[in-house]
Amino acid sequence: MKVRDVMTRQVVTASPNDSVQAVARLMADAETGAIPIEVPGVGNLVGVITDRDIVLRVVAEGLASTTAVSEIMSVGIEGCLEEDDLREAVRKMEELNMRRLLVYDNERQLSGIITLGDITAEYRDIADTDPRPETGVQT
Amino acid sequence: MNDRLWSEAVIIEAPGRQLRVESTRDAEICLRRYWPLKDGRALNLARDACQRALSGSASPDSARRAFVEAAREAEFEIRSWS
Repeated sequence: MKVRDVMTRQVVTASPNDSVQAVARLMADAETGAIPIEVPGVGNLVGVITDRDIVLRVVAEGLASTTAVSEIMSVGIEGCLEEDDLREAVRKMEELNMRRLLVYDNERQLSGIITLGDITAEYRDIADTDPRPETGVQT
Repeated sequence: MNDRLWSEAVIIEAPGRQLRVESTRDAEICLRRYWPLKDGRALNLARDACQRALSGSASPDSARRAFVEAAREAEFEIRSWS
C-alpha cells in the first residue's frame, strides 16, 4: 500500500505570523490537528504546528493566545512522498517520533499529510472487510 | 486566495471572551463558526465582503471594515486603532 492511498489531501497552510488563536480556529474549520506553516508570498514551508503544540506550548505554559505561530511551531518539514510505501512512512514516523508526516508529490510540492490516525483507520477498514483466516484450532 | 494578514488586527471582546482577528480567512471563519448572531444585516454584508476578498474581487481592507461593522452589530467591544 502506498502513502497516497491513505494520506489526507490537504492544502490548508498558515503563516508564521498568524496567532495561535487564529490557527486553532483554522484547525477546527479544516478538521485537522496539524497545519503546515508557509512563508506568505514566498511559499516556502518552514514548519508545522499541531493541536498538541498549542496545548503543551501555549495553554500549559500560560502564554497568550495572541502568541505568533513562529514562536511555538515545530521547525522542520520532514515528510515522505506520495509514492512511498506505507511501511516506510510508518518507520520514518517511529524514527522521528512523530505522529504525522507531510506528503510531497513528485515535484516536491506539498500535497497533503499522513497521520497515524489515517493509517489506523485504513487498517481498521481492512480488518472489518477481510474475513479471519481459519486457523484450524478448535476449542 | 487572498487571506494574508490585515494591516492591523481587530480585537473584539465580550464578557469572558476575546477574539483577535488578523486576516480575511480568519474573519470568515469567525463569522461562520464563532458568531453570537445567526443573522443580521452587517453580518451578511461582512460574510459577503470576506468571500469577495478571498476570491480576489475585493480588498482585504473592505473585508476588515465590514467585519468591524458586524462586530458592532453583535455588540462586541472593539479594540482597533482604525
